[in-house]
Amino acid sequence: MTGWLPGPITWQSFTLYFLVSVAFLLVILGYVTYAIYFERKVIGWMQGRHGPNRVGPLGLLQTVADVAKLLIKEDTIPKKAQRDLFILAPVISFVPSFVVLATIPFTETLYFADLNVGILYYVALSSISTIGIILGGWASNNKYALLGGMRSAAQMISYEIPLVISVVGVIMLSGSLQLSAIVEGQSGGFWNWNFLPQIIGFIVFIVAAVSELNRTPFDLPEAESELVAGYHVEYSGFRFAFFMLAEYVYVFAIASLTTVLFLGGWHPPFPFLDFIPGILWFLLKFSFVVFFLFWLRATFPRVRVDQLMGLGWKVLLPLSLVNIFITAIVYEIFFR
Amino acid sequence: MKGLMKGLGVTFKNMTQKKVTYRYPDVPLEMPDRFRGIQYLDPDKCIVCNQCARICPTDCITLTGKPNPDPEKRVKLVDTFDINFEICILCDFCTEVCPTEAIVMTNNFELATYSRDELYKDKDWLFANNQNIRKENNSALPKGGAKKDA
Repeated sequence: MTGWLPGPITWQSFTLYFLVSVAFLLVILGYVTYAIYFERKVIGWMQGRHGPNRVGPLGLLQTVADVAKLLIKEDTIPKKAQRDLFILAPVISFVPSFVVLATIPFTETLYFADLNVGILYYVALSSISTIGIILGGWASNNKYALLGGMRSAAQMISYEIPLVISVVGVIMLSGSLQLSAIVEGQSGGFWNWNFLPQIIGFIVFIVAAVSELNRTPFDLPEAESELVAGYHVEYSGFRFAFFMLAEYVYVFAIASLTTVLFLGGWHPPFPFLDFIPGILWFLLKFSFVVFFLFWLRATFPRVRVDQLMGLGWKVLLPLSLVNIFITAIVYEIFFR
Repeated sequence: MKGLMKGLGVTFKNMTQKKVTYRYPDVPLEMPDRFRGIQYLDPDKCIVCNQCARICPTDCITLTGKPNPDPEKRVKLVDTFDINFEICILCDFCTEVCPTEAIVMTNNFELATYSRDELYKDKDWLFANNQNIRKENNSALPKGGAKKDA
């Protein structure tokens, strides 16, 4: 796919891009369907239950049924809502989540756009979703939605900073912002993967990523047991489904990014396992990260709101800064 | 940090643990024998003493009697006996007070219906409700019931 993008856009190439993106969107939708199913199953198992098992064989069609329910629901827009923004908000929050996937290299050959500023592209676009959330909260013209949107925006912006800074260590080690180059730098066995030399960065990245995803234990914007939903109180039907979809696509994006940045991308853990295709290794690591997120959700209680900002600014940010300095010093002394 | 790891360990171990859920709608639940479920009525034992209707805290029992066709006997026979399960609280008072144990508890509890009218159960329905009847009906009396043949 490398050759296509730099060429001029003709009707032919446009149709091709379009078809490929639609195919990828379908893959993502399939992933989201079964990620939700898998999440409910895993949480069920961890709580001594079976999880969904009534719709279809083993409950495999449960999510399909849920989504179908959402799509045929009445589409309500509150009378006093800002109509245009209300309609726009789910779109703004979903589109970046899908667009950031373009830069993620799944294997050496399977990627969409191997940008030389891949990480920056990811970070810059993913923060646009926050605008969608705050718009949704504001346009609903509802105090709960507004407060939920504010809290959500505050949380996502504060955790974006440690998330980005914790990646700087990885960038220093590989000397590139290009995601495929970062993966290349981790070839030759799991001891070369970035999560070992960058263990502090890795931990900060994971914590900040979970918070960025608004997932338990940082799911304060939704906090189903405490609040009336948060920024999407007034949303129903397929607009609500879009917010949910954006959330799960971000799970996909963050899990892929973790795999690429810290877990060696498509490289096998031992060089002699090279005969297994890279995409399988990628999928394996990716699924482990996704499973880890679900595992966290089944284990931890929610962080209190007054602890939330403290954790972000007073613990994660200094830690990630310290990580940069340690990386720089160790690199200067031992590797140059 | 150690606590967080411990918690993750607990949930991970729980994944393979035996499931604690019942296969309830597929497999009926077995209730213990002292369970207070829907009443069973044996119209032949009923002497129309009205004690159950009088003690009922929600006034959900209505019963009428008719004269015994055998003129020798003065005991009445039950004509209609209705329990309104919209308001019955399954408190067990009617079955405790019944001197002949004509009305006893069962272990059945599935009362959900689409219409409230269906919750109005009559004599025949209660007589047909003869599964899972409570075995020991009055713990205060000696086993078998003292005044069974009143």
